[in-house]
Amino acid sequence: MTQDYVRPPHPGPIESWPDAEYDAALHLLDRQIVAVDGRLVGKVDDVELTVDPDGSLVPTGLQVGAAALLPRFGGGLGSWLAERHEQIGCARADRTTPYVVDMALVDDVTSEVHVTQPREGLLRRRVPGLEEPTRHTLGQLLEMTVRMPPEVEGPAEATVLDVRISARDGTQRVSALVVGHGRPGSLLGYERSRDQGPWLIAAIVRRIHRHTRIVELGPDVDLVWETGEVRVGPGTVVHQLPD
Amino acid sequence: MKKYLAVFLGILSAIGGFVDIGDLVTNAQVGSRFGMSLGWVVVIGVLGICVFAEMSGRVAAVSHRPVFDLVRERLGPRVGFLNLFGSVAVTFLTFIAEIGGVALGLELVTSVYYLLWVPFVAVLVWVILWRAKFSAMENVLGMMGLALVVFGVALWHLHPDWTHLVNQMATADKPHDEGWLVYCYYAVALFGAAMTPYEVFFFSSGGVEERWTEKDIGLMRANVLIGFPLGGLLSLAIAGAAAVVLLPPGISVDTLGQVGLPVAVSLGKIGLGIAVLGFVAATLGAACETGLSVGYSVAQYFGFQWGKYVRPNEAAMFHTLIAVSVAIGAGVLMTAVDPIIVTEFSVVFSALALPLTYFPILVVANDPDYMGEHANGPVANTLGLIYLVLVVVASVAAIPLMIITKMGQ
Repeated sequence: MTQDYVRPPHPGPIESWPDAEYDAALHLLDRQIVAVDGRLVGKVDDVELTVDPDGSLVPTGLQVGAAALLPRFGGGLGSWLAERHEQIGCARADRTTPYVVDMALVDDVTSEVHVTQPREGLLRRRVPGLEEPTRHTLGQLLEMTVRMPPEVEGPAEATVLDVRISARDGTQRVSALVVGHGRPGSLLGYERSRDQGPWLIAAIVRRIHRHTRIVELGPDVDLVWETGEVRVGPGTVVHQLPD
Repeated sequence: MKKYLAVFLGILSAIGGFVDIGDLVTNAQVGSRFGMSLGWVVVIGVLGICVFAEMSGRVAAVSHRPVFDLVRERLGPRVGFLNLFGSVAVTFLTFIAEIGGVALGLELVTSVYYLLWVPFVAVLVWVILWRAKFSAMENVLGMMGLALVVFGVALWHLHPDWTHLVNQMATADKPHDEGWLVYCYYAVALFGAAMTPYEVFFFSSGGVEERWTEKDIGLMRANVLIGFPLGGLLSLAIAGAAAVVLLPPGISVDTLGQVGLPVAVSLGKIGLGIAVLGFVAATLGAACETGLSVGYSVAQYFGFQWGKYVRPNEAAMFHTLIAVSVAIGAGVLMTAVDPIIVTEFSVVFSALALPLTYFPILVVANDPDYMGEHANGPVANTLGLIYLVLVVVASVAAIPLMIITKMGQ
């Protein structure tokens, strides 16, 4: 059964993993996780982001399960669902901790996420260590409100639509945020090039997202997790979407 | 040689697999009330299912992703869930109608009341989904469904005025005693019957099950572009036979027996026997496809193991879901709800739910990250956009028309 499993090819510009640069919501979130034996494990319900000693955010694991999925329904609905889930399993101490597939186990990302272990018993919860690093999730980041100063070109108040991760120096780090109006996913992948058809959908998405910008993370960008805000300082580098 | 056989088998089962309880009932109803004046909707619907299935089949072959993987990846968990809920509800309704259709077909053969057949049919469907091999299930039932060709023979044997039928279809010449709103309602119903979403869920998931790769795109296209239009011809034959036999005396179609009546008039007992065999095979095949589609859709949204390419105990959640669906479906039928009414609802709700899955497929079929060089070309995109407008119009119009016309009365 195992040997006849064929991985999907890399048809697009993304060639090898870790890719030089990818947008996490578009290329990683909600993808199918496939074990080494070709069995389906679950979806990437959220991505764990760990704060590195140098302050940057490193994707360290793929979160799986209701505890990760339900908050991602967003806003009031997401937290309501998460509370109900907590209520239903109130005897379980770990009910709010999602399962994690460590990023070290991921060996390739095509149209699905491949891990190096078989499916049986793959999903575990993180056991807190003595010096536990600070961890956040991609889902939290995608809920954040972005406040831009008037000096910086772009919308004054916006939402994080996607999170760009680059792996140029070997370690993957969050390097930029795609910010604009609407909800994560509303770009539908049309932010990458103007050539993607059909023209009508591309034109409408481009029109809705005409104020969408890419904000490079730097010393002037402050992620305030407690209030769910991204404060952008005046010296921040901001790009337009590519043509 | 083996390859040509595969193409041939695929086309044959696509013909039989195209027609289900929705096509049978809706086409006969429309034929008996409007003659061939709504035949053009079948043509548009068949071209639509070709466009939709070809795109999703191509995505499945290139990226190995079935429909609900893409829905979740493109629309996210929240909108994706709404989508899942709507699509699964419609598919489940169709599933109930198909099981009812099998039971009604068996009643025609045995004269045993259909409700007594429902539990047995449900168990049979469950056993097939649990034990039978995917290709065997698809080919055997699809092939037996070809017995419905008897409708074409019956129509030919009735010696109808062909120019009149074609003329009626080309000029949308509806009978004067029917209103335009009712005409539009049945147009939406026919569109929904031809473009039932589950056909695409099943088709693309089946492609992933059978491990299609880029090399299989040609075979997939042959199945879609030859098989579905021939299935559409069967639909037209059902409508035509009803138009010739049932329209002049004003007989309305409220039972499955009345769907087969034109064949009995034209070809007698043997013809009717073949037609009933076709009913049972086509609805049983569609019951399996819809039952699987419910499991496929939910599993693909949540990411647990699905499919008949693994042993049932390796896809335990998937098979549990199917078993529960079969039990609930049979339970609903045992309330003595009329399967024909369920069918009428299911085709209209199909039209309502269609854009939910059509739109994400159209977007992903254009995405170079999934599709590489196999992304939509200008023809697929022109047709894709035209049908995006059509499915949205049909979806928006479905419920208002249903309420205003009191389901076509």
